[in-house]
Amino acid sequence: MKKYSSIVLILLLALALTLSGCGSPEPEEPAPADEPSAPAEPGEEAEEDALRVVLLLNGTLGDRSFFDSANAGLEMIEDEFGAEVRTIEMSYDQTRWEPTLWEVSEQDWDIIILGTWQMQEYLQEIAPEFPDNRYIIFDTAVDYSVADLSNVYSILYKQNEGSFLAGALAANVTSSDMELANEQKMIGFLGGMDIPVINDFLVGYIEGALYVDEDVKVYVSYIGGFDDSATGKEMALAQYNAGADIGFNVAGQAGLGQLDAAKEMNKYAIGVDSDQAMVFADSDPEKAELVLTSMLKRVDNSLFRAVEMHLDGTLPYGEAEELGLVEEAIGLANNEFYQNNVSEELRAELAEMADMIANGDITVSSAMGMTTDELNELRDSVRP
Amino acid sequence: MANLMDIILSTSFGYAVLRVTTPILFATLGALISIKAGVVNISMEGTMLTAALTGVVISAVTGSGLAGLVAAVLAGMLLGLMLAYFALNLKTDIILAAIAINLMASGGTVFALYIISGDRGISSSLASIVLPKVQIPLIHQIPVVGAVLSNHNILTYVALLSVIVVYVLIYKTPLGLRIRAVGENAHAADSVGISVIKTQYIALIMSGAFAGFGGAFMSMGYVSWFSTNMTAGRGFIALAAEALGMGRPFGVLLTSLLFGTADALANALQAFRIPSEFVQMVPYVVTILGLVVYAKRRQSMAQKHKTEDRV
Repeated sequence: MKKYSSIVLILLLALALTLSGCGSPEPEEPAPADEPSAPAEPGEEAEEDALRVVLLLNGTLGDRSFFDSANAGLEMIEDEFGAEVRTIEMSYDQTRWEPTLWEVSEQDWDIIILGTWQMQEYLQEIAPEFPDNRYIIFDTAVDYSVADLSNVYSILYKQNEGSFLAGALAANVTSSDMELANEQKMIGFLGGMDIPVINDFLVGYIEGALYVDEDVKVYVSYIGGFDDSATGKEMALAQYNAGADIGFNVAGQAGLGQLDAAKEMNKYAIGVDSDQAMVFADSDPEKAELVLTSMLKRVDNSLFRAVEMHLDGTLPYGEAEELGLVEEAIGLANNEFYQNNVSEELRAELAEMADMIANGDITVSSAMGMTTDELNELRDSVRP
Repeated sequence: MANLMDIILSTSFGYAVLRVTTPILFATLGALISIKAGVVNISMEGTMLTAALTGVVISAVTGSGLAGLVAAVLAGMLLGLMLAYFALNLKTDIILAAIAINLMASGGTVFALYIISGDRGISSSLASIVLPKVQIPLIHQIPVVGAVLSNHNILTYVALLSVIVVYVLIYKTPLGLRIRAVGENAHAADSVGISVIKTQYIALIMSGAFAGFGGAFMSMGYVSWFSTNMTAGRGFIALAAEALGMGRPFGVLLTSLLFGTADALANALQAFRIPSEFVQMVPYVVTILGLVVYAKRRQSMAQKHKTEDRV
């Protein structure tokens, strides 16, 4: 009896681990995504010259934002260049990230793509061991002074530029006589964590708002993580209750709570990374109406651009590049809700601002490299 | 800081406290019943998560919020039953079995969501139903009290009423007496003819049912969708709330409210430029302070009656 029960328990645990580990395999990819240790036996020797690209996600697909966008980029690369591609979801279990990167580095890939600041240190350690490999890391930059990282290309996004437009939109809305706008000139910002990348959005958002109207106040909240959408909703409700009539969420899945709060309070919201209005366009159109636009971080475009340049031999390995509005790596979502709910005049004004940023007439500050004191000063200056 | 008092004394803050407390209270009551019967159910987190998904899926398929709620509670009971079978029939360690349920739920719900809807992070493509809000007739008209107490999600009231139900169940019914007897000393209970296994089965299934209500509130009241790991540790906070409440229904109501207040306070404090890391610490500091008080009280109680040996 005891033996039987322990076998059942072990099976249950094994099942639990497999399930929790992997998310689920991509439908178009028969190779299981849950076995990062043994991917990629090149099946077709005939296509020897096909570019082989692997994408390592330190999370799972289905976030409707960042990782999904990276995967979309990989699909574009597959379609356009006939590359052999593979996405490996390493899940949110940090202990699997470093071994997987080692494993993949030892295999025969032309380009290894990975992202986020959490992978940066692992890459700094591993990349010098494989000088013949080519790595692309997005949304962070490796520290090129610590080792010979001439085989790593880093992509940074000028999220501050896109957020500037979001801030300008929010400030216009809160001062306008739009249906759901109130008297108070207060706008909200819901961040995931108090970290440089998120604050880069914030800095652009505040500057954009102040550019339009110096009197606008910004209510800033940080959820403390990226998955608790109930807390995200709670904080957004607190902002709307305090008088904000539009908010910008930068908190991944947790930030979606803001959209629920917007519907409950009948206020406006601005999405992030991917087009969040489209997430609800079918199942809850009322909610989608309130999402005026989303500040897109086009990971897909930036990866496509990098691989294209790699093929041309012009990709500057050993360097970090900042991509912004010009490279179409950043921008506001131009969907039906944006067109229907934001006046034509305001849309034209925002387009003009985007041009001015692109050709350098407006310079937007960045939180990267900003001291905590400077950041606090900026946040305090707009405190409601 | 006059501003801070304004926020805390505002009706929307009081309203938020009750909303934040609801899922914790459900899970805490579930934990309480299981512990009373001497079988610690630490699978509240996974059970809530599973129930949250079940509620969303069934309500989207049937178009009925009630059907979703019933399905969520049934899913909770089923997991309670499963835990009971592993622990009581197969004699596995109940803690390990519960950990397995938690792990299985965190990955299994994503897997199931993907199979059902093609989504992986969030169930936004399912048109699931949100359970209605209720206005309490008389109380609704009272100025301040009405704004705090009325117009909550129906499950918030179910949670508050459940405190009374659990109290009556445990202290005023024969079943409650059996549960307590089994929990205090299973051998003694056995010797007077109480079926220990049956009683513990009932307790674990009821515990699962409460977690089911908590899960349904998360996905059909608190927010209007299921998302990966959306319970975010509330099932574990419930275990702390149960311990702090000394295993008494009204005690756990107070401690759940304490956790809810700490959480709501952490959300409201963001308005001031207090470092967010500090603010996010508040609920956990409250937990630690609470546990210290709890440990002190237990020490003095243990000196009084040397016999008490609650899990």
